[in-house]
Amino acid sequence: MEFLWIGLQQLADPMVFLTMVVGAILGVIVGAIPGAGAAVAISILLPSTFSMDPLNGMTLLLGIYCGAAYGSAIPAVLINTPGSPVAVLTALEAKPFVDRGEARRAMSLAYSSSFVGGILAVLALMLLTKPLAQVAKNFGSAEFAMLALACLVLVIIGNGGRRMPALAALAFGLFLATVGIDTAYSTQRFTFPGLFEWFGLRTPFLQGIPLVPMVIGLFAMSEALVQLTSRGAPAPVAQLKGRFFDGFAEIFKYPRTLFGSSAVGIGIGIMPGVGEFLAQQVNYVWTRKLSPEGHLFGKGAPEGIIVSEATNNAVPPAALIPMLALGIPGEELTAMMLAVFLVHNVIPGPDLFLNRPEFVAGLYWTLFFMNFVIIGFLLVATNWIARAAQVNKRFLGVLILTLSLIGTYASGYNFSDVFIAIFFALLGYVLRRHHWPLTPILLGLVMGPILEGRFRQAVGGAGGDLTIFLTRPISAILVAFMAILILGSLRGWLRTRKAHG
Amino acid sequence: MTEEPSGNRIESAVIAVAFFAVSATLLALIGTATRAGRADADWWTRPALAPGIFLAVLVLANLVTVWGALADLRRAPPTAVERTESLALFLGWLKPLEFIAYFLTYLWFIPQIGYFPATLAFVLLLLWRTGLRSRGWMLAGLASTLALVGIFRIGLGVWMPAPAFYDLFPEGVRMSLIRWF
Repeated sequence: MEFLWIGLQQLADPMVFLTMVVGAILGVIVGAIPGAGAAVAISILLPSTFSMDPLNGMTLLLGIYCGAAYGSAIPAVLINTPGSPVAVLTALEAKPFVDRGEARRAMSLAYSSSFVGGILAVLALMLLTKPLAQVAKNFGSAEFAMLALACLVLVIIGNGGRRMPALAALAFGLFLATVGIDTAYSTQRFTFPGLFEWFGLRTPFLQGIPLVPMVIGLFAMSEALVQLTSRGAPAPVAQLKGRFFDGFAEIFKYPRTLFGSSAVGIGIGIMPGVGEFLAQQVNYVWTRKLSPEGHLFGKGAPEGIIVSEATNNAVPPAALIPMLALGIPGEELTAMMLAVFLVHNVIPGPDLFLNRPEFVAGLYWTLFFMNFVIIGFLLVATNWIARAAQVNKRFLGVLILTLSLIGTYASGYNFSDVFIAIFFALLGYVLRRHHWPLTPILLGLVMGPILEGRFRQAVGGAGGDLTIFLTRPISAILVAFMAILILGSLRGWLRTRKAHG
Repeated sequence: MTEEPSGNRIESAVIAVAFFAVSATLLALIGTATRAGRADADWWTRPALAPGIFLAVLVLANLVTVWGALADLRRAPPTAVERTESLALFLGWLKPLEFIAYFLTYLWFIPQIGYFPATLAFVLLLLWRTGLRSRGWMLAGLASTLALVGIFRIGLGVWMPAPAFYDLFPEGVRMSLIRWF
């Protein structure tokens, strides 16, 4: 109880409270604008948070993350334009509601199920993180190395239909993580000093590939380039009349769907690499099969919206569980946030609860109350946000590209960072055009040092004996888990090949 | 492991070949771009080990993608429509490069004329170039630039290099210009 009380005291700090409100509102707005989104906003604001107190910085970024998950429902329902992949099912299911003149009911369903999913996920975060961190105290280097590897295998498996590009992207990210000075021999790897000297420059890669310019280039600038080169007029907005609260009780007519979807979202949020999109799709298909109203799915079923939104909004708080307890980010947004931890020398993992209890408890409560701030803002500002969501894509591209310069330059006051961002912007543009995944590159860059460092420690401690990964029980379980995943995936691939002749 | 279709097949194949070529070149450079390590040193500490493994996986994944793309083109040769479309798509690659060129020019101008004037010119140029040329859009560009300066320079205190001509102003004005514009 004392632990939670310390957290409430953190929230009483006006700066923390103000940051929470600003982050939540900003998140809702960027989430509602197709082409903006949490990844773009977080990558641009990331360097600005380095000068803040760690709790303030994380609160701002988490506000954007959670707010965007709510905000994505607005264009999906009112403009029938999913701003992100996770809003596709909401858009599909809400269209018949809008056609029937029930846009307000669809919005109420989306908001209330988002709220329940979000709150339940925060409670799961409060209950599960510390026990998981206690378990992780027994982990040695072998366990952490295999855990990191298992996460990377999940990242590939989670990219169903694009596994080979995902594998290539992940390997590229892991390779990027090796660039710079290698501590074992104090030697340089892929820094190309001779090449830069030829141009009269010093290599910018001695400290490795800088995370912030890479993130801004890959996620923000590449998106700006896509927007700047796109055409098309915004769709009209459906008008809302009446009060949202009137429809809030409707979700409780479907308790199994509501709580089941929230649980799936929490489970998927904890598992690295799988992502809310896949969770939603699987959950949607299951619920359609099991529900007595399954025949209504796709024709405006309340349960369809509940599945989509409760799953989607349960993921952000749950994604923090492995990051806080183990120091392992599961998807791109928590991987970006890890930078805030590292800048402030806050080491996530088992010792975090011992060293920084006020920080962890403060995060719990800000996430909890953030859901109330977001829902309150949505209740009064939905019509206004819907109009903002219609912003011209090319204008949005101009803004993102201009903001990218500030974000990149402010991270290290170094123009070479801007060139690194440009390289990743062009790479991201190519990958986006071909629907190849970007996230594995970032996860590879973030997880690479953990994997390599822990692998060296484990194998070094065992005198070069690789069976160390099989003789330690938890490590062996993780190896078996990976083997099952890979074999299962290969089996599915062979079946598909056979079915297609 | 069924792969999703990804646009024009010729364009996809060319990109896959380019990725493969770059990754194979990086792998070929492993001996010169990293130090192999002492022959008597422990194998797990050698600097080339991790990048070597990751690049080998990258080359293999790219090779499978190239193989799949070329096999697909062999099985069903590209139609005339696909060929014409691929040409247009390749020309389309110049579009982002044009915007990157504007971005680099903007970057160069910041230390010459100051952040605010350079940003305003960049925003208005991009709006004009993307067809948003009405007075309303230009005013929106001006308002956005002022908002950027307000939030990042004044609010968050983000520093930007000041141009030399700011030194011509009296000290008080100069400091304000450096801090805000």
